[in-house]
Amino acid sequence: MVATIAEQPFTVAKIPVSSWTFAIRVWLAMILALFVSFWLQLEAPASAAVTVGILAEPTRGQALDKACFRLLGTIVGVTASIAITGLFSQERDLILAAFAVWIGICVFAANLLDGYRAYAAVLSGYTVALIATQQIDTPQHVFESGMARGAAIAVGIVSMAIVNTLMDAPDRHPRLMVQLAAIRRRVRDYASAAFRGEPDNSTTFLTLLREIVALRPEIASVALESSSGSVRSAAARSTAVGLIAELQAARILNSGPVDVDNTACDQPRAALERADDSVLPAQRLPGLVAGQERVRVVETEASAWAARELLRRDEQVRQDLLALRSARWPLRAWRAPLYRSYRTAVESGVRAALWLAIASVFYVWAGWPAASVSLSFVALIIGLGATTPSARGFSAITLIGTPIAAVLTGILEFIILNGADAFPLLAIAMAPFTISAAVLMKSQNPLWSSLGRVNLLFLPIILSPSNPQTYNPQSFLFTSLFLVAAASLLLAAQTLIPPVSDDERRMRLLAEARSELQEPADQNGEAPEEATFRDASRIGQFLAVGGARDSRGLAEMLSCFDQSAMVRLCDTKLMKLTDGPLAPLADEARAAIVKRDTPSLRTIALRLRKMAAQKDSMEADAAACLVLASKIFDRGRGVDFSQETT
Amino acid sequence: MAHTFAELVVGGVLFAPFVTYLVAALVLIVVLRPLLHVVGFAKMFSHASVAELSLYVTILSLLVLLF
Repeated sequence: MVATIAEQPFTVAKIPVSSWTFAIRVWLAMILALFVSFWLQLEAPASAAVTVGILAEPTRGQALDKACFRLLGTIVGVTASIAITGLFSQERDLILAAFAVWIGICVFAANLLDGYRAYAAVLSGYTVALIATQQIDTPQHVFESGMARGAAIAVGIVSMAIVNTLMDAPDRHPRLMVQLAAIRRRVRDYASAAFRGEPDNSTTFLTLLREIVALRPEIASVALESSSGSVRSAAARSTAVGLIAELQAARILNSGPVDVDNTACDQPRAALERADDSVLPAQRLPGLVAGQERVRVVETEASAWAARELLRRDEQVRQDLLALRSARWPLRAWRAPLYRSYRTAVESGVRAALWLAIASVFYVWAGWPAASVSLSFVALIIGLGATTPSARGFSAITLIGTPIAAVLTGILEFIILNGADAFPLLAIAMAPFTISAAVLMKSQNPLWSSLGRVNLLFLPIILSPSNPQTYNPQSFLFTSLFLVAAASLLLAAQTLIPPVSDDERRMRLLAEARSELQEPADQNGEAPEEATFRDASRIGQFLAVGGARDSRGLAEMLSCFDQSAMVRLCDTKLMKLTDGPLAPLADEARAAIVKRDTPSLRTIALRLRKMAAQKDSMEADAAACLVLASKIFDRGRGVDFSQETT
Repeated sequence: MAHTFAELVVGGVLFAPFVTYLVAALVLIVVLRPLLHVVGFAKMFSHASVAELSLYVTILSLLVLLF
């Protein structure tokens, strides 16, 4: 469908040109934001520059998406600041306790969300710290400070949007299309392994699943790219959900022995081996019926049904990819729900509140002047850390990155600029620092990338550009020291009360998967495909916390995934029989599914098959589903059993 | 006769009339998006993002001129 050419990116000084153009865009936007802020005589021009640093995202849609959430988070944060200050204006201890609780609530919300939504949640938290905490001794200025910050953020957003538009920042959807088409090709390869008689390869399955689920936040960003963005985003979302359903169908096919001599499977095999752009024979399925003449046993029919199901899914994905390419609405606009682990979120929220409380107690006890500034940095690092995979790792990187940013800012402020008051000089002097930090941010190495981001953020914070620039060494030293003190104090608090460990997260996810299998959550109006995507996102979260190393846990997680998907599939098929004469048999099948009574399931399947008028009738489909379910339940029991014995 | 601008006051804070126009133009663009998609606006231009920015500026200017 989409031709991909493996081309070598053009490089300058061994750095891809795309990184250079990105860095220059960031620098230009930062200068524009500062220029407009000075021209409008805003009170907090540094916030506009920081906004640009935060919105430094490689594509236009991503930057705009993050900008919208930054504005939303700021509005919520300013409102919360006014409410908290209004409620506890004369009570220092109560106000600090309220800040801690608010940060906890925001971190809790961030753990339930992903992408820029999670960022907006933590931003609401640390906006309170930046506005209300810094004005703790002058509560009457909270509103003005909030307005000044809001205005500066709006200027930053507009600057970034204009520079990205005029400098032709890349769109995300062309690459997304290529990525989704490539994933579809790999899913077909994975499925065709069953026809070649190769054993099931769980690693391939997990890699594909993880890649599809990871695209979720980026798909949402496509919506803001152009007037057709929301349509493209819906098509891409449906493609991703369809790909998970296809992958799951391929896994069912891979897990059961496919009768390779069976002509019922010949057409699907041939279809999978054909070129990508081919129209799969979903419309030619009646041909399969003829091929099924030689099928004697229900088990073999189940394999044939699984192959047909895979083809049906593949055709759906092909249609959705076509819709994405031609910016049309997909046939079914599926949602892509995210799995939310409430208990882990609560634990993370409570820990974040405790870290801020410990830092507050320390600052109150130390009695430093302007300790409120340092406390607001603690909240900032807690917030940003909550959106990264490891909160403590982020604190450590901040501790390393802050002194580097402070030294670089010192060089910029007191050696290069050293009293200069012309705006062009500021613009030229900031170029090497901003551009190098942005180039570093685009590095493949996560450590360099994080250091680049920390520098891009903290440089404008420490420099705090204003009109006229004060060049006050004392304020520079204080800000630098407070930032380093905040990072050290937070790291100490996180050593005292460690963040939720990967092992705990894995255990929690596994326990939740297990309990959901026993008592499926009642999600109103959720299609089976959407529920399967949610389960897949849980496996994605499990893998993100080192799940690949825990082979036993992973096997159980996959077993839960298979069983849940199969139960949903059986439910859908049995639902169609509810109104007919086979309703009592359908009820019996449902009861057997709940009890995981596999012999009964096979018996019911045989009875259903006998009553089926045609080989591809509703009854035959339900029978095939029940046979496959019984196989998956038996295999799942094998996992449980091996756990009990080991 | 000089054009008068309506002032926006939120919680006692006075906003520049231009802010109202900026927000109104943004709302109009958001409302127009489905229509732009139907007429295939993004496919008409080689740089759709620049065209959409220009459309925003046009709407903003018209608002300032007419209201």
